[in-house]
Amino acid sequence: MDQTAAGQAGAASIHLDGVSKTYDGRVLAVDDVTLHVNPGEFFSLLGPSGCGKTTTLRMIAGFETVDRGRIHVGGQDITDMPVHKREMGMVFQSYALFPHRTVTENVAFGLRMRGLARAEIAERVRAALELVALTGFEDRRPGQLSGGQQQRVALARAIVIRPRVLLCDEPLGALDRKLRQQMQFELKQLQKELGLTLVFVTHDQDEALAMSDRIAVMNAGRIDQIGTPGEIYERPQTRFVADFIGEINLFDGEAHEGGFHLDGGRQLPAPVSSGRRRRVLAVRPEKVMFVEEGGSVFSGQIESVNFLGGYTLYRVVATGRRPILVKETNLSERRARAPGELVHLSWNPQDVVLFDH
Amino acid sequence: MSASARRRPDPVRIAYLAVNGAIVFFLIAPILIVGVFAVNPTPYISFPPTGFSLRWFEKFFTSPDFMNSLWLSLRVAVAVLVLSVLIGAMCALALVRGNLPGSRFLTAFFMSPLMLPAILTGLALFQLYLLSGVGRPVWGLVMGHTLVAVPYVLRTTLAVLHNFDRRVEEAAAILGASPIRVFFEVTLPLIRPGVIAGGIFAFIVSFDQFPISLFLVLPNSETLPVVLFNYMKFDLDGAIAAASMVSIVMALSVVIILEKLIGLKAYVKL
Ligand SMILES: Nc1ncnc2c1ncn2[C@@H]1O[C@H](COP(=O)(O)OP(=O)(O)O)[C@@H](O)[C@H]1O
Ligand SMILES: [Mg+2]
Repeated sequence: MDQTAAGQAGAASIHLDGVSKTYDGRVLAVDDVTLHVNPGEFFSLLGPSGCGKTTTLRMIAGFETVDRGRIHVGGQDITDMPVHKREMGMVFQSYALFPHRTVTENVAFGLRMRGLARAEIAERVRAALELVALTGFEDRRPGQLSGGQQQRVALARAIVIRPRVLLCDEPLGALDRKLRQQMQFELKQLQKELGLTLVFVTHDQDEALAMSDRIAVMNAGRIDQIGTPGEIYERPQTRFVADFIGEINLFDGEAHEGGFHLDGGRQLPAPVSSGRRRRVLAVRPEKVMFVEEGGSVFSGQIESVNFLGGYTLYRVVATGRRPILVKETNLSERRARAPGELVHLSWNPQDVVLFDH
Repeated sequence: MSASARRRPDPVRIAYLAVNGAIVFFLIAPILIVGVFAVNPTPYISFPPTGFSLRWFEKFFTSPDFMNSLWLSLRVAVAVLVLSVLIGAMCALALVRGNLPGSRFLTAFFMSPLMLPAILTGLALFQLYLLSGVGRPVWGLVMGHTLVAVPYVLRTTLAVLHNFDRRVEEAAAILGASPIRVFFEVTLPLIRPGVIAGGIFAFIVSFDQFPISLFLVLPNSETLPVVLFNYMKFDLDGAIAAASMVSIVMALSVVIILEKLIGLKAYVKL
């Protein structure tokens, strides 16, 4: 602790064990959440609005009390530690800059609270502003900066104290698309360079997939799945995760030794299961292929064609079920398919995921 | 659009300007009239003025009665400003931040001196002081004024607190500021404009206070409004007008000095 107070802290791990939070004795915002973040890891909390991401982050920061469970940072139980002793950095969605202070004063604040010498504060503020490319803006007030610049000040203010962990609550949410992508890249870069443990809250799946080492997908206060972006995308473990991340085709049916039986009788390509069980078969649109009539699983008419640059998204209507999405990469020699065309679809058994209802 | 508006004046716009002009006129006219009387040398208030002289100002500034009362009024008003700022700001913080049960009722209660006619408040305080045997000390007068001045500070501070982004305080806390440092480094600087605006009101409320003062001053140490009232009962000359001008300039100076020194709207939108 003395070492961290002197600003020598390295990146720390975070452990949440069975953490729950109820607001006003009624709203169960976070329900028995257990997760481990490794030192230096970029870890995202991903989920729809209201699923408890912010509440989880605010409990790590100490802004909300924890009803049940414990939180450890760097092996130390901080569940009941006051906010100002936690040695964490935080970037708020609204930035929460001090409006009455200049950029320099904002960034220097945490160092001043630590009682560092004037010269060291000046040097570290200068270095932090250089890191976020804000040299030359030292004497501006937050009100005189653009959204992207305020964002950078907030980031500089959080990292200048060399926090044990950095917490970000939808930090890029207020930026326009272009700037947002640039900041995604820069934040990721900075995190790697400084070796920060970073917990990143977002409802944007693309953002989470692009930036994270690992992602926890939250659903109504609980964690549905934790995994690398690849695992979350390719091997969703629940219907919710499958539906929330990207596009996916879902089929209800029965899994058994011979494969998968769609309700209504048809056999679908799937890995073999032991025992007979009602399950959901999920297959990503880019895993569905156009095939010749003989080897097809479904036949149907193309309902719509969406050209999306690098690929084309087709909706195919097969009788008696909701349209199947097919994503096809646009290679140069591919002939364009037209709406109304009769097509035949199939996929490889190893490309599907099965999960319980 | 603006070019055509310049060519053919819009009747709605003319009406709008006329109404605004009338309002400004009704606000300024009394002050102008008092100003005219203050420099008119005739020994009674009359119109039109017959010349220009500073004799009424001279009379005002050389009269020990006027000067003593002006000095008393200023001291009382400054004390009221300080007290009501302290009490009002702390009340507002407690009401918004304190998680108090019945904070809505408490707010209404603290605002209630504004609802009562000041003359009733004055009478009630007079009786209270009489019954408790404290007499009519200057601090009793200060307390009476503070009672009606606190709601102004309370109201302006509450307005700022209600628009306050508490994330800014959280940001300070996670950067290592203890709760006390958060208050002095962030909370106080951000609510300051509201508190100061309330303080200006408090000063003026006290400096102009008549009904409450009427009950609480001793005959030989009266505040300026009471002295002016008594003076008017016997003499209605330009000294009254000169005194009024001095009062107005005093009040205005306080506003301008506080504005310049501490800044009312430097960074918070009121
Ligand atoms: N201060 C609060 N008081 C009461 N309920 C709250 C509070 N903050 C959040 N909630 C509720 O808790 C749930 C989770 O909210 P939150 O953690 O903000 O979700 P997210 O950040 O994922 O959008 C929501 O139902 C929300 O309405
Ligand atoms: Mg949120």
